Amino acid sequence: MSAYLISMATFVGFFMILALALNLQWGMTGMVNFGIAGFYALGAYTSGLLSVKLGWPVGITIAMSCVTGLIAGGLVALLSMRLREDYLAIVTLGFGEIVRLIALNEDQITEGPRGLKIDARPFADMFDRETYPLVYLGLVALAVAVVFVIVECIRRSPMGRTLRAIREDDVVAEVLGKNVLRHRIQVFALGGAFMGLAGALYAHYVQNISPEVFMPMVAIFIWMSVIVGGAGNNWGLLLGAGVVMTILEGSRFMGDFIDFLDAEQLSAIRIIVIGVLLIAILRVRPRGLIPEPKFSFAAASTDQERQPSIENAK
Amino acid sequence: MTSKITRRSALITGGAIAAASVFAPNIARAADPINVGSLTPNTGGGGPFGPKITAAHKRVVDLVNSQGGVLGTTINLFQENSETNPETAVRAADKLINVNKVVGILGTWSSSVTLGIMPKCQEAGVIQMCTSSSADIPIRDEKGYVFNFQALSPVWGRAIARLALRRGFKTFNLMALNNDFTRSMMDGFTEVVGKDKLLQDSFYYNGGQSSYRSEVTQLIEKNPDAVFIPSYVTDFTSVYKEIFRQGYEGQVISVSISTGAKFKEAIGDAANGIIHGLPVPPIKSPAYAEYVTETGLEPIDGVQHPFGTAGRDQMSVLLLAIEKAGSTDADKVAKAIWEVTTGDGKETVYNVTEGLKAIRAGKEINYSGASSSIEFDKEGMVLGRDFQLAEIKDGKDVVIERLEF
Repeated sequence: MSAYLISMATFVGFFMILALALNLQWGMTGMVNFGIAGFYALGAYTSGLLSVKLGWPVGITIAMSCVTGLIAGGLVALLSMRLREDYLAIVTLGFGEIVRLIALNEDQITEGPRGLKIDARPFADMFDRETYPLVYLGLVALAVAVVFVIVECIRRSPMGRTLRAIREDDVVAEVLGKNVLRHRIQVFALGGAFMGLAGALYAHYVQNISPEVFMPMVAIFIWMSVIVGGAGNNWGLLLGAGVVMTILEGSRFMGDFIDFLDAEQLSAIRIIVIGVLLIAILRVRPRGLIPEPKFSFAAASTDQERQPSIENAK
Repeated sequence: MTSKITRRSALITGGAIAAASVFAPNIARAADPINVGSLTPNTGGGGPFGPKITAAHKRVVDLVNSQGGVLGTTINLFQENSETNPETAVRAADKLINVNKVVGILGTWSSSVTLGIMPKCQEAGVIQMCTSSSADIPIRDEKGYVFNFQALSPVWGRAIARLALRRGFKTFNLMALNNDFTRSMMDGFTEVVGKDKLLQDSFYYNGGQSSYRSEVTQLIEKNPDAVFIPSYVTDFTSVYKEIFRQGYEGQVISVSISTGAKFKEAIGDAANGIIHGLPVPPIKSPAYAEYVTETGLEPIDGVQHPFGTAGRDQMSVLLLAIEKAGSTDADKVAKAIWEVTTGDGKETVYNVTEGLKAIRAGKEINYSGASSSIEFDKEGMVLGRDFQLAEIKDGKDVVIERLEF
């Protein structure tokens, strides 16, 4: 059991990094990104291919994944010069599919649909088989911590306020003399780098990646994590990623207790249960489990009560 | 509505976690008998086949348990849905391996799922039994824990090509869905008919498109006698509609998994005349007759349950091998799998009951299954399955050719 929990915690770690990156892009800056799976795949394939085909050390290949994510993020963000919201969403979705289709069709490089087997793992020689999963979890946790500190620093800094201003109304931000495009590119590139990092860590963990892994469904899981956790709040979506994974995986254990249903019925019911639980959470806490704190000019409580808010409006 | 975590909600959450951790060890503690995992595609691309494999696994386990189990203990079966998706399947396999402590994971169908969970299974010493056709499976199986109950797809391609040549077609064009299974099938087909019979280069198409117009136009442009399209049912339906719309008069050849009941329903009369091939169970085998009785199916002449029968054989072989090995250690079980399935001069058994009896009586056995005679080559891939070519006539599959091994 503990080996399973360690493994699931590791998967939650990948979700957390992706969710933190999405929160930076969408939660804070309002840039819709449905191409998460593409950045994830880019990171996974960059690190996987460099270590398998060129034999580079894992530490360097993971760093290279961040670099490719950074560059891809910056380039996609350039498109946002003229595209916003729904249009940007479609472009990012397209980007994700393009990456997946390249991985599928350029099989001289990526091994295509056969999938890429990756033997290299960071620090694999230094630990035995029993303790290694724990070491990897530690590594992923460290990555989550680093990403968290960076995004949280951005959120609290003057740049964070600018990003929120862009999210609420980019024209106003522009009028106030903020360079909206530069901020958007920075944020998207940084988010892309984090997603690349998550992809690289994922690739060396599961050791076998194929284009089918990076379907748009991955992006949906991350969006669920951010929305369930509380968009805009980094603490909230750490929780959100955990909750989403618990619902996805915890529902598997239904089968071990319910024996009057056959496996086929259980598979269908499990997927229904996942949907119902997510709807229920959002019905009870529409702004997420830990919503973004509201902005206020003064800490005085009288002031806060005068602030219009969703709760008072109800 | 408050946006804060109140003390009350924190208490409830904490209580729930505490309760869960009290009950959780029960799951792990249930691990005393022999545990076997089943990971089948109950939804997604393999959805039409997974439930049949699942049901077959369960029937064999129930039967053996009702007769006292294996090695004097009962079998616990844990069934998971792979969703035909390697991303999900890896986590499901993780649960089977680390929580349920299974001896083997049976029933994976899609090659990407079988390959995706392989690193975890190899590391943990877990036997894999699958019906996947990727030629990469034996290459990646470094420890000899993987047993494939399906012919590799180049074999499919070669068999269909041989049967097609017998029908007298002179020129061909090929296009295939871009996945590992269909691509290596196309290579097998080309190998047999010879490159000179192809009017143009073969090509791949990407699944999930809303239209296959340009692909089909390219395929039938030079008007070959026959076109071969290895595919899945989801894309083949749209591809075939387009072929029909463009008025192609030659022969369309595909694989039977693409032309099942759902395809015929969607296409109607226009489906008549399509030829399709598939590895099939040996219909004369007593084991196949038993499978038909067990499932309460009508014996049909068309496409004969190629995956359900494989599910029955997977579970039977694993349990026989555990009894033979006298242990659940992966290396010993893997060795015993060859001993109970392959080799001459042994007593042939057609089901798990006969097999267990014979093993307990100290005899050497050779299990002959409902999906094939189940003989493995040295890489754990099943040797020869019967192969059949059928034609759709009046909405039904009529067998036109058969290759028997």
